[in-house]
Amino acid sequence: MMWEQLIWFAIASTLFWVLGAATAWRENRQGRAMWLSVTGSLIFFAFIVGMWISLDRPPMRTMGETRLWYSFFLSIAGIFVYARWRYKWILSFSTMMSVVFICINLFKPEIHDKTLMPALQSVWFVPHVIVYMFAYALLGAVAVFALYMWLRSSRREPADEEMAMCDNLVRVGWSFLTLGMIMGALWAKEAWGDYWTWDPKETWAAATWLSYLCYLHLRPITKRDYNIAFALILFSFLLLQMCWYGINFLPSAQGVSVHTY
Amino acid sequence: MKTSWYSPILRCVLLFVVGIALQLVVGDFGVAWMRYPWSVIVAINYLYLLVLCYAMEDKWPWARGLRSQHSSVVALASMVVMTVVFGLTRQDGSADGVVGALGFTRMTSSWPFNLLLLNFITSLGLSAIDDWRWVRQRKIAAVISHTAVFVALAAAMFSSGDKLRVRVVAYLDTPTYMAIDNAGREYELPFVVTLREFNIDEYPPKLRLLKQSDNTLSEEYLSSADSVGEIGGWTLRVKEYLSMAGCMEQGGEYCPMQHVGATHAAYVEAHNDSDLVEGWVSCGSHIFAHSVLALPGGESVVMMSPEAKRYTSRIAVALSDKDVRYADVEVNHPVRVGAWRIYQVGYDNQRGRWSTKSVLECVRDGWYGVVHIALWLILASAVVMFITAGGRSLRRKDREEQL
Repeated sequence: MMWEQLIWFAIASTLFWVLGAATAWRENRQGRAMWLSVTGSLIFFAFIVGMWISLDRPPMRTMGETRLWYSFFLSIAGIFVYARWRYKWILSFSTMMSVVFICINLFKPEIHDKTLMPALQSVWFVPHVIVYMFAYALLGAVAVFALYMWLRSSRREPADEEMAMCDNLVRVGWSFLTLGMIMGALWAKEAWGDYWTWDPKETWAAATWLSYLCYLHLRPITKRDYNIAFALILFSFLLLQMCWYGINFLPSAQGVSVHTY
Repeated sequence: MKTSWYSPILRCVLLFVVGIALQLVVGDFGVAWMRYPWSVIVAINYLYLLVLCYAMEDKWPWARGLRSQHSSVVALASMVVMTVVFGLTRQDGSADGVVGALGFTRMTSSWPFNLLLLNFITSLGLSAIDDWRWVRQRKIAAVISHTAVFVALAAAMFSSGDKLRVRVVAYLDTPTYMAIDNAGREYELPFVVTLREFNIDEYPPKLRLLKQSDNTLSEEYLSSADSVGEIGGWTLRVKEYLSMAGCMEQGGEYCPMQHVGATHAAYVEAHNDSDLVEGWVSCGSHIFAHSVLALPGGESVVMMSPEAKRYTSRIAVALSDKDVRYADVEVNHPVRVGAWRIYQVGYDNQRGRWSTKSVLECVRDGWYGVVHIALWLILASAVVMFITAGGRSLRRKDREEQL
């Protein structure tokens, strides 16, 4: 399985995801919407597994490869949120975002290296990247939803249910960020002897983690101050972008991070 | 703004200002003095003060203020600001300019950062104590995560002077007990290390195009193990690949060779619409020179040095004449010797797979167990938080739907 075959898997996955998203809007079709979406995700996962086998290593090293996982986990995050909270719009959103990242991979695949340096050959590598990608997907979803509620033309105040959804998504996203960060710390101890070295990636990961944690602690005491809540969600998401790929361009991180690829 | 915000904000601003003043007057925040037994004495006293503050909350209103929700949010926000400054500042240890004078170029040693971190840890510690007092009324995920994050951060802070990291360069069959620390000082290890064997697995080297005019390498590459590929308008075909090869004369044929110094070599055919060139390319070794295949138009096919897939040192660690242990040290697989862990970090890159030396790092971390348990507890709390997120509102919603 190589990158040339991505287009066919992408078309098939997108077809099922779109059908699932459309079905979610109809009454009493939750089960069908779920299974259509799950089928789309399974097809996409089959491509990832194929890449894994053909590369003889997990496809998690380059930006293009992590985008594959991001597309996949966006769809999984959408299915998970839909299964748990039944938000009708979430499957449409996750489909759109997954397709955007698939398109980036189709049109700008970048370098796809086949080698995997010894430090990356660890039992922590796969779960560390996967939980981070899942967290990014959830926190991306909540950032877009917060932006919509903040800027919508009706200027309507968010309902309690809408804010509860923001809080839930941030809570789940943050718990996955925590899993990723701690797995990274345990891995770093095995690889280099230190849990935390304040490498630029780690510094921005800490800033992101603290910022979302600040949101979770701020919400109970500023229940009606939506502007601060939305601003903090978006600010935290900007920090997350710095952590994910921003450090590749940041002058202060050039040549000093073991996380720049 | 409500008055409940004033006190925590003022506290953080004051800590920052005091931190800046200390940074300018006494220089960096040093942790060298905080070694066992002082690290343990300071940690115990700090914990005692925390419990005392919590116990005296009714009499000391400021102590209650340290763990208020507003205080937690402001402490978190102050850490967000400091870590963002941390991320935006190049950590080169320079003392030049305003940023350097304030200590932001060596943030972990700067007073403002450490004072605000201490404020954060204190607020967290008091919250953890309160959680355990009212444990039945609290969410279990919050109780575990507050406690575990507090233990991990406090242990990291108080153990920073105790941690020792030294580097050992071990040569084949040569016992050594001398190591070098980060400052270049010699350190005598409590055991003797002898490198018995060094093994390395390599990926097949990559073939790239080198533009001779500006010495730039092509982004695209072809693995020597692959048969054919397109790079920069040329089709490259690997007709023969030898992972252990030698060449008797410069520019001559490569042939299989099982001997120290053997190198990688590939017989490559390169063609485009008008030209066809073929010949040997090799990355060379400490014995053989490298070979390139020159192409018309000022480009050459070059073989890069092979990248390591994994490398392992078989070492003997002697704690005494009678107590000798053998172990394989590999990246991600350190070996434990008492409070020490031995890590594989490097080898002689010039000789590659023929390296006769191995670079090891020995790390002594007496707080390993405490921090490890705290991190696993944080993992567990994150799982619990994920499972229970939104649970109450969901149950309420279900009840409302049933009604």
